[in-house]
Amino acid sequence: MFDFLLLSGYNRIMITQEKLTILTESAKYDVSCSSSGSKRKNSGGMGNGYAAGCCHSFTPDGRCISLLKILLSNDCVYDCKYCPNRVSADVKRVTATPEEICELTMDFYKRNYIEGLFLSSAVCKNPDYTMERLLLVVKKLRTEYRFHGYIHLKGIPKADERLNKEAAKYADRMSYNMELPSERSLKLLAPQKSKQSLLLPMKTLTAERTNFLQEKKKGLVKGYFLPAGQTTQMIVGASPEADGQILRLSQALYRNMELKRVYYSSYVPVVRAPLLPNAQAGALREHRLYQADWLLRFYGFTVEELIEEGENLSVDYDPKCAWALKNLHLFPVEINRASLEELLRVPGIGARNAQKILQARRFSTLRFEDLQKMRVALKRAKHFITCDGKFYGVKNESAVQGLLTAAEWSENAVQTDFFALLPDDTQNGQRLLLSNRQSAIAALTGEL
Amino acid sequence: MLYLFDGTENGFFTAFLQAFSDTDAHLSSGEAQLLLGQAPIAVSTDDSKAEKAKKRLLSFDSDCLRDLRILRRCGASDNEQIAFAYMRKLANEKRAVRDMLADEAVFQAVSYMRKVRLEIHHLHGFIRFMETESGALYAPVSPDHDICDLLLPHFCARFPSLPFVIHDVKRKKAAVYDGKNRYLLPLDKADVTLSCNEQAWQALWKKYYSAVNIPSRQRIKQMIGYMPRRYWAFMPEKNGSDTENPDET
Repeated sequence: MFDFLLLSGYNRIMITQEKLTILTESAKYDVSCSSSGSKRKNSGGMGNGYAAGCCHSFTPDGRCISLLKILLSNDCVYDCKYCPNRVSADVKRVTATPEEICELTMDFYKRNYIEGLFLSSAVCKNPDYTMERLLLVVKKLRTEYRFHGYIHLKGIPKADERLNKEAAKYADRMSYNMELPSERSLKLLAPQKSKQSLLLPMKTLTAERTNFLQEKKKGLVKGYFLPAGQTTQMIVGASPEADGQILRLSQALYRNMELKRVYYSSYVPVVRAPLLPNAQAGALREHRLYQADWLLRFYGFTVEELIEEGENLSVDYDPKCAWALKNLHLFPVEINRASLEELLRVPGIGARNAQKILQARRFSTLRFEDLQKMRVALKRAKHFITCDGKFYGVKNESAVQGLLTAAEWSENAVQTDFFALLPDDTQNGQRLLLSNRQSAIAALTGEL
Repeated sequence: MLYLFDGTENGFFTAFLQAFSDTDAHLSSGEAQLLLGQAPIAVSTDDSKAEKAKKRLLSFDSDCLRDLRILRRCGASDNEQIAFAYMRKLANEKRAVRDMLADEAVFQAVSYMRKVRLEIHHLHGFIRFMETESGALYAPVSPDHDICDLLLPHFCARFPSLPFVIHDVKRKKAAVYDGKNRYLLPLDKADVTLSCNEQAWQALWKKYYSAVNIPSRQRIKQMIGYMPRRYWAFMPEKNGSDTENPDET
């Protein structure tokens, strides 16, 4: 009876525009936006998961709005140098009530503005208190409001393990942000965080999730435990780490922590501080990192093949092109005989085109014109393939090679020691090359 | 020769049979352009012949009708012709042809199907519901392809107990879910009285949209690439306007 009253009257509580603005402005630098990976069913109430993910709008900065990205509070006790909400900053502090967040989520969801909620918070009082509040909101949303849409919850480092595990039963995805790709940079810029406080909860949740999935298979447990897994984010350009170092960390996280995604966020100077650069990091660097990240996850590359630890990715070429130019002895490959693995390594041929080629060549030998008809992008690919024995590219290796060998070396690369904590378990965590149609689609959305 | 049929599926298959061996056949159910000096053939639907043809094609490819139904939703004026060429290829090959992408007819059909499916996926995200006085939801749309009823399953699964209307204002029809059953009705104009809170929620959403943007990283081209302008008309955050920065103008 009470439940019914609560639901029917739920337009009574509406967050104010000012509060919404403050709590959104503080949350927007988190780049994670995806709503994929969860097939949560509707069991009465409102909403469900959409495994492929769904974008509901795009802002003028080119990013998608999938989830309502908001902080529960911006009232922080930490003093991270890069953060506009650090305790020493002079900003207006606001905290939303659980009801305000729940009703906002329900009403935005109902109008199809959003796919769900991305809830985070500044650390109020202490990590346990903050995590308890976050847990309260997601629990309320799931049980009282009977909301089955997507929930992405930010984990609070150093909060009690039991709280994290409880939250994982209600959230579709959780994330702990590495933010800075080395312990040294963390110490310098985010003194209250440490590699331990970030990696330990990730590790615990990964282990718990594996257990849960096994037991669920046997029919011993019901419900959900982070159906969409975990992700993390690294800020690029606020600290001196090279791309090679960042990508090594990503590869280790994918292999050993089973993360679904690592997000890269080029640094935006919101705060001025002597330790921080004043310039915004370039969008191109971020783009190249994502390209390399895709190669690691969907194209069967290892980071060691792509880039040295102290190196940055080429500005002139995408990482696959750069790799191919360094390995010209492996090319050209014959389009009618190459394996999926080989096709995926041809510059310009992506997951979708590789699939198209595999499909079409079952019926007839593919000629260059056939590839054109099939709208396979050949601008780059033509230098690396033969079609029925014929080569259509240009062989000007030396000029291109010359540019490549001049690849910059980052002068102030700092050795990372993150790997000390990550077991070098490459065998267990070896990523399999995705080889069916569904996985090709996964490669497009970026979700495993 | 141009074959005009009544727009029904059986009409399509009757025309298909009649046009099959005509190498210069064009199929259409709409206002196709008449070629100079050509009298169109008006096809009169023969249900039993059509059913036979369907059965035979299904024996080659059990998914072919699903493809056809998607193709016939495509808003391109030559969609019936593309569907005809695709089905003819299937009949000639006597096996599923959808992977024969090097074949022009197949490639065209597959890209049309992709366009239709892509718009369904787009609209799953870009549709905007308004809350009416009764609590039911109302969403006007103007899609390129005839898909408003194909949007129903997604939203029915999501809002099992909420009645809603998706109104294709271009084709003057509406897909309706009353909380139990689904309907497709002709609907010219809808008289909608909004709930008293609707404007306030829309205002809050606009506020959110502008707050979550990072102005120093402006990439308008990318935004438009992902969210084509033709969908903006019914999105409150774009103020129903297809200019780039509605708030600034």
